[in-house]
Amino acid sequence: MKNSFDEKILEEAHDWVKLNQKVVLATVIQTWGSSPRPTGSRMIVNEKGDFSGSVSGGCVESAVVRECIGLIKDNKPCKKIEFKVSNESAWEVGLACGGEIAVYLEQVN
Amino acid sequence: MKLQTLRSIIEKKKNKSEFAIITNLSTGESEIFEKDKPLSKEMETHSNQIKEFFKSKKNGVIENTEIFVETYVLPIKVIVVGAVHIAQYLVDFAKSLNFEISIIDPRGYFASEQRFPDMKIINKWPNEAFKEIDTNENTALVALTHDPKIDDPALQHALKKKFYYIGALGSKKTHENRCQRLKEAGFSDEQINLIHGPIGIKLGGRSAPEIALSIIAQLVSETYNKK
Repeated sequence: MKNSFDEKILEEAHDWVKLNQKVVLATVIQTWGSSPRPTGSRMIVNEKGDFSGSVSGGCVESAVVRECIGLIKDNKPCKKIEFKVSNESAWEVGLACGGEIAVYLEQVN
Repeated sequence: MKLQTLRSIIEKKKNKSEFAIITNLSTGESEIFEKDKPLSKEMETHSNQIKEFFKSKKNGVIENTEIFVETYVLPIKVIVVGAVHIAQYLVDFAKSLNFEISIIDPRGYFASEQRFPDMKIINKWPNEAFKEIDTNENTALVALTHDPKIDDPALQHALKKKFYYIGALGSKKTHENRCQRLKEAGFSDEQINLIHGPIGIKLGGRSAPEIALSIIAQLVSETYNKK
């Protein structure tokens, strides 16, 4: 059986919009190998960098926040970003689990 | 995503309808797909694949395209019989899960709005109450009164309707007696064995919130276990 455990993230996005915040939805659209969160997982980010929800187990959220702020600043409607396996010796963002994910960013407008 | 689309998604979720969001990843345009409703011209060419995702309740990008499909499924119905102390914690734990809970209890003092704010409470005997709820094999039953007068009719209904999860509170002895009664009522051992009794996974605790947690854990585990 399939039960999407609903995180009410879109409802929260709507609340943020009502507070006149600029909101970007970040959604996991593809995964390869072992990824921490399934396709459809989502987080929201506002222009200040506040965020809610998740697209991984905390591995790439900070990079997603940066990208979302950039999207708002450049006033772009959408963007696709991919994350791959991290290099553990370097201080870079990546997925420690060895998987890959594609995250789609889109502004609510 | 347009604010208007976001609003109608939230509205559709509230109204418990099944739908999918179709997004063109290159343009950022999105629309809502519903069974028997026409798609836009652009998406119409992908309608077979979209329907396939919708039918299998999956999310993903349609192969060789820039079209992302995200399906929204209905929450699972959980019928709690017995508006008892454990039920109060159960409802609390279930809040962040996609369960649609209805509480049945013919005893007015138990099934009060004050004890269960914002919950669907049916203050009737199970046989009457089940006339108001559409149930099927995607429904779960949590029987908590351990009073045969109240629990038994609900258990019988759940067995007949093939609920995917049936749990009943009570000691081993209580459960043995319950099984005996169900047997006398004409249910087979095979059917009776489907009942989780005593209810919940073994956590060790005996307080109301601990029992509620063990029930929720079993319910979630069974939700993913079958089919």
